[in-house]
Amino acid sequence: MSVRRRRLRRLVPTWIWAPRYAFHVVLYAMRCWRGRAVAWMATAVAVGAVLSLAAGSELFLVLSERSLNQQVRSASELQVFLADDAPQTQVDQLKAKIARMRGIRSVTFRSKAEALALARQDSTLANIADTTPANPFPASLVVDLDDPSAAGGVADLAATDPATDHDVPASYTPAQGRRLSAFLSMAQAVVVGVAVAALAVASLVALVLLRSEIRARRTELRILTLVGTPRPVIRFPVFMEAVALAIAGSVVAALTLSYVGDHVVPAVNQYLPFLQLGSAADAVQVISLSTLASSVLALGVCSLLVRLPR
Amino acid sequence: MPDHIRRLRDTLRTRFGGPSESDVVVGAPGSIQLRNVTAGYGSTPVFSRFDLHIDPGEFVYLVGPSGSGKSTLLKVLFGTVRADEGWVNVDGIAVHRLQHWQTDTIRRRVGCVFQTYELLSHLTALENVLLPLQLAHPRTRHARNLATEALELVGLRDKLHALPPTLSGGQQQRVAVARAIAHQPRVLLADEPTGNVDKDASAEIMELFGQLNEHLGSTIVMATHDEYVLSRYPARAVRLQTPILEVVAS
Repeated sequence: MSVRRRRLRRLVPTWIWAPRYAFHVVLYAMRCWRGRAVAWMATAVAVGAVLSLAAGSELFLVLSERSLNQQVRSASELQVFLADDAPQTQVDQLKAKIARMRGIRSVTFRSKAEALALARQDSTLANIADTTPANPFPASLVVDLDDPSAAGGVADLAATDPATDHDVPASYTPAQGRRLSAFLSMAQAVVVGVAVAALAVASLVALVLLRSEIRARRTELRILTLVGTPRPVIRFPVFMEAVALAIAGSVVAALTLSYVGDHVVPAVNQYLPFLQLGSAADAVQVISLSTLASSVLALGVCSLLVRLPR
Repeated sequence: MPDHIRRLRDTLRTRFGGPSESDVVVGAPGSIQLRNVTAGYGSTPVFSRFDLHIDPGEFVYLVGPSGSGKSTLLKVLFGTVRADEGWVNVDGIAVHRLQHWQTDTIRRRVGCVFQTYELLSHLTALENVLLPLQLAHPRTRHARNLATEALELVGLRDKLHALPPTLSGGQQQRVAVARAIAHQPRVLLADEPTGNVDKDASAEIMELFGQLNEHLGSTIVMATHDEYVLSRYPARAVRLQTPILEVVAS
């Protein structure tokens, strides 16, 4: 053998052992898994069921919150009723003043004729519109609010402005605006709180399942420590298994969510139209991905914190 | 070399291979020394202020009635039970100083045969012997050859791919012996290796230990109460008495 070749052979083990070692560790993890595939599958299904429950409840909460948000948004359209004899310059000044206020998205003028046309489309007002000879609907400034709490300021301004109808200056009172805003904030907080609680409970249950898995492997882990296996190497299969459990559980949860999004939510929309849950497609994607990320993170970290036998 | 570099090197060595410099004390490779050792479980010491010196290449029996501390002494040497007091040096490593996450250092270095075999039931005989070679000794080349040779030595050439539950007690014990000797350790600890096997299998195991001791110069410490083994293969015996340990050389 040439000197160069001998040198090469001497060099090879110094760098080749790392990938070879990693290969053996992965191979061992696979052998461990092979020996307990059925038990592992059962645990994966259990983790999947727990994650499905958590993700499903989160989906309904998100859809409900979205629906509520839409309702509040539609309620955040405020009308400032104008006096019939208000000159156009005063109306323009009022419009400019309102547009400059904080929390206002847009201000548009609605004439008496437009108001009458809209009333004819509304089943509750159509009768008045058809039976009254003169047009009873006033012209108005339609104020689209970004923040419902800004309604108070607009209502206050409308009450004192000479261009407005002095009997009913606005469609909205400041107190109503504040109540709506508080209700929306509370609803959002409830959604976030319940989602966090659902994820925490799901992680806790998954952790208990993982611990029972590890307890069942106590003998194996003890033998590994007895034969001098480095602790990171012992942890590696446990970590791999936890991550695989999280992924399998998340896949089960994603399939369940997809089914709920495609079949259950449309059925709810059909039979309970006042809930207005809408389409679940985008929410299903986001919740599936967040379930995967959070479960991998939670179970991966927990597997690294599990105490190994001495 | 600066202190922080030395500390870093020691940490890396401990994690990935041999003991750190601070764990290696003066002592001949293959020797075992215990000085003033007190050890036990909880607050009850199994033995206290115990001294023992075993030279490299010596064959020593630990004998005594059940509960006298034979297994505990082996566990102290192997790092499974930590000495409450005293000084334990095995094959140049200060075992008493090792933290629980560092005990793999001594376990990789020393071979050990356990009373209950401690085989992984989902791995074959060959895989069981290969496991410590591949996972605990990343740099071991030709691991498969070493494992096969060890199994051939214990007479299990035809059982390489058998799972432990399909083997008899004696065969399982021989797999455990093969696992312990596969990396040709300088120190071999054995806890009642002939306790669960018949006379023929006992003789085979003792012949094997004899060869290891004679040809490779391995130090062997074997706990036993098998009178047949003691009379047929005479060697120095350390007799343990309850409750105070007493050493009797024979």
